[in-house]
Amino acid sequence: MKILIVDDFSTMRRIIKNLLRDLGFTNTDEADDGNTALPMLRSGKYDFLVTDWNMPGMSGLDLLKEVRADENLKTLPVLMVTAEAKRDQIVAAAQAGVNGYVVKPFTAAVLKEKIEKIFERIQ
Amino acid sequence: MAFDADEEILQDFLVEAGEIIEKLSEQLVDLEQHPDDSDLLNAIFRGFHTVKGGAGFLQLNALVNCCHSAENVFDILRNHKRKVDSELMDVVLEALDHVNAMFEQVRHHEEPTPAPAELIAALDALAKPAAETPAVSKTAGPAPSSNETVASGDDNGDITDEEFEQLLDALQDEKASAPARAAGNGQPASADSSDGDDEISDDEFEALLDQLHGKGQFAGPPETAPAGDNKAGGASDADNSNSDELISDDEFEKLLDDLHGKGGSPTADSANASPAAADSKPATGPESGKADRPAESSAKHHRHEKSPAEGKGGATSAAPAMPSRDANAPVAETSVRVDTKRLDDIMNMVGELVLVRNRLQRLGAQSEDEHMHKAVSNLDVVTTDLQSAVMATRMQPIKKVFGRFPRVVRDLARNLKKEINLEMHGEDTDLDKNLVEALSDPLVHLVRNSVDHGIEAPDVREQAGKPRQGTVTLSAEQEGDHILLFIEDDGAGMDPDVLRRKAVEKGIYDQDAADRLTNAECYNLIFAAGFSTKDQISDVSGRGVGMDVVKTKIGQLNGQLHVESELGKGSRIVIKVPLTLAIMPTLMIMLGDQSFALPLVNVVEIFHLDLSKTNIVDGRECIVVRDKVFPLFHIKRWLVKGAAGEPEPENAHVVIVAMGTRRVGFVVDQLVGQEEVVIKPLGRALQGTPGMAGATITGDGRIALIIDVPSLLQNYG
Repeated sequence: MKILIVDDFSTMRRIIKNLLRDLGFTNTDEADDGNTALPMLRSGKYDFLVTDWNMPGMSGLDLLKEVRADENLKTLPVLMVTAEAKRDQIVAAAQAGVNGYVVKPFTAAVLKEKIEKIFERIQ
Repeated sequence: MAFDADEEILQDFLVEAGEIIEKLSEQLVDLEQHPDDSDLLNAIFRGFHTVKGGAGFLQLNALVNCCHSAENVFDILRNHKRKVDSELMDVVLEALDHVNAMFEQVRHHEEPTPAPAELIAALDALAKPAAETPAVSKTAGPAPSSNETVASGDDNGDITDEEFEQLLDALQDEKASAPARAAGNGQPASADSSDGDDEISDDEFEALLDQLHGKGQFAGPPETAPAGDNKAGGASDADNSNSDELISDDEFEKLLDDLHGKGGSPTADSANASPAAADSKPATGPESGKADRPAESSAKHHRHEKSPAEGKGGATSAAPAMPSRDANAPVAETSVRVDTKRLDDIMNMVGELVLVRNRLQRLGAQSEDEHMHKAVSNLDVVTTDLQSAVMATRMQPIKKVFGRFPRVVRDLARNLKKEINLEMHGEDTDLDKNLVEALSDPLVHLVRNSVDHGIEAPDVREQAGKPRQGTVTLSAEQEGDHILLFIEDDGAGMDPDVLRRKAVEKGIYDQDAADRLTNAECYNLIFAAGFSTKDQISDVSGRGVGMDVVKTKIGQLNGQLHVESELGKGSRIVIKVPLTLAIMPTLMIMLGDQSFALPLVNVVEIFHLDLSKTNIVDGRECIVVRDKVFPLFHIKRWLVKGAAGEPEPENAHVVIVAMGTRRVGFVVDQLVGQEEVVIKPLGRALQGTPGMAGATITGDGRIALIIDVPSLLQNYG
């Protein structure tokens, strides 16, 4: 499964990447915000998108909206990484079509659970 | 202890978050100038937010708390619920100082000390819309206010198992959740209920998804999953695409109704909703799905609506089976972090290569072999390219140093009650990393000096017909293989006569010598040890230590420093440093049969001189070149054993060298030529020998000492 990790903070990308690797997902790419992620998504055949919320350029929510508006990407499962599970934020993300969210900091086990839940739903 | 996390990631975090924090200090000062700049507010918010997020993974809780509180303040600010003022800035800057201190501790593998509770409380107080502030007592700080979420640091984003259990319990019973919510809304009640209020739980989220995506599209939450598993798959992939599309207006309306009208607790509803779910099944077949959904997704949330037809669908296996597909992973990373130690090593090796090249060039010149010549000149080109390429990897923008100044100037100006505007130009000028670090302290000192001594108090400025606000300008530019740094102020400037008087008072010069000093030489007096013109010593500067240290430091970098000033208009300090420290162009000279290298920076001109034409002025041998008088030194007498008694030759080569504004002539036996040398430190026994900067190996394979002109003159002249 090819996964794109989007975060403006490279340390965070690395943390997520390492966690995913621990779960056996080794085919990961990175992008530093929505503006760089979008062209990659459009050309890259990704199976899964993990994106931070708060980024300069294009935020995670805007990226999500772009993804959902794109004919080829609208089915792409998206996991949103947030700092707080604030209700209004999560509701907004859900309304924009997010498949799951995970609150920082999280462990590999939590991430696994979130990913499994997402794929359970999709299938 | 916090360091069970991956050490490498910790180091990465320190570097990257360190950059963010550096930027923050700049942005914060900027903010004071432009308090309404929402891009800036957003950037600062994001800065704290990002650092917090990373620190969370590394379990640096003290850091998380402090950043979290600061972040909340900026959340309020960027939503225009509060205005930036100096008091707020003081608190936030203090918080930043603590964050910096914590970073330092983490760097040294210590557990960061939490910021003082008062500071956190002050931040939390500021993290409320302005109108509410008076009502908020300090102890109530971490509790959530009614409109804006101010979760306490520890609970932040982290629903504990216990809370989650309670939440589940609450969800079992619709009524139970309502009071909890009310409590959370009304006042800062218990942590549990407030969490339930602002933060969404997994179950709630599941319910929300179910609700948003209509019926039958998704498997339920874990507890219902087994049921779904048993069903045969009827749903096609088309379902998935439908389910991910934006919800329709009708659905949205329903969602809003549910969220607000029903007390905002969708899970509570959905728990009771399951019986109704069956209704929706028929409508959500692969083809009909989307069109019918608005009508079908009635007021309830359907957590158990999965129909047999759609259950697990034609889908492939779940997540754990996925990794097998990703065999051909393209590597997208375009940059790597490299330890500077490694770069230093590479630079060192390139240095050695340069020496070998020099040696080969010399040997090649002696040989007649054409192939040899070709190979050597090829080597020359490659080595030069390699050298500049390696140097480029070590380049950093001077911004790294400049970034500190807005804060320095702001704090100083506030401290001294001056009004100062700092302008910076050429922040992107690149120079060697080691130089960037080495320049940092001297520059801070010079800028402090400009602010303290240069710029006058606002009243004084007004009386002098200047704007109240003084300007300090910092700029950098590259000039050939040198970097020029300017520190300018439009302050009072320096009075050469005052400087002369001070010099006499301090016993640096006698009256005669002082009177003979040119204005430029007077200005350079400020770099003399123990020289301070401020009669009153402030805690900022003025003890007269420092400026001489600055000069020494710049000298160590093979740099030069000089001052220009105009009374009443301001002063300008110019620093000239080489692009890199490792490799230095020099002029090779011979004294007797020993080679010496004179840094090319210092060399002004070379000529042949009839030594009988020298004059004695003031007991010193001098020469006149184009109507200018230069003192002449026979450095051979200083540097070569037994040369002191030798008779003077009639003719000799003279090298004019410059240090700042001072120029002198050195008599040398032979001029060998220009050569790039790699500076090797002197052995321990010789370290600190006055007049020597180091040693190097010359093209002919011999050792040459590199002359440190200022210290040579200081010791022998």
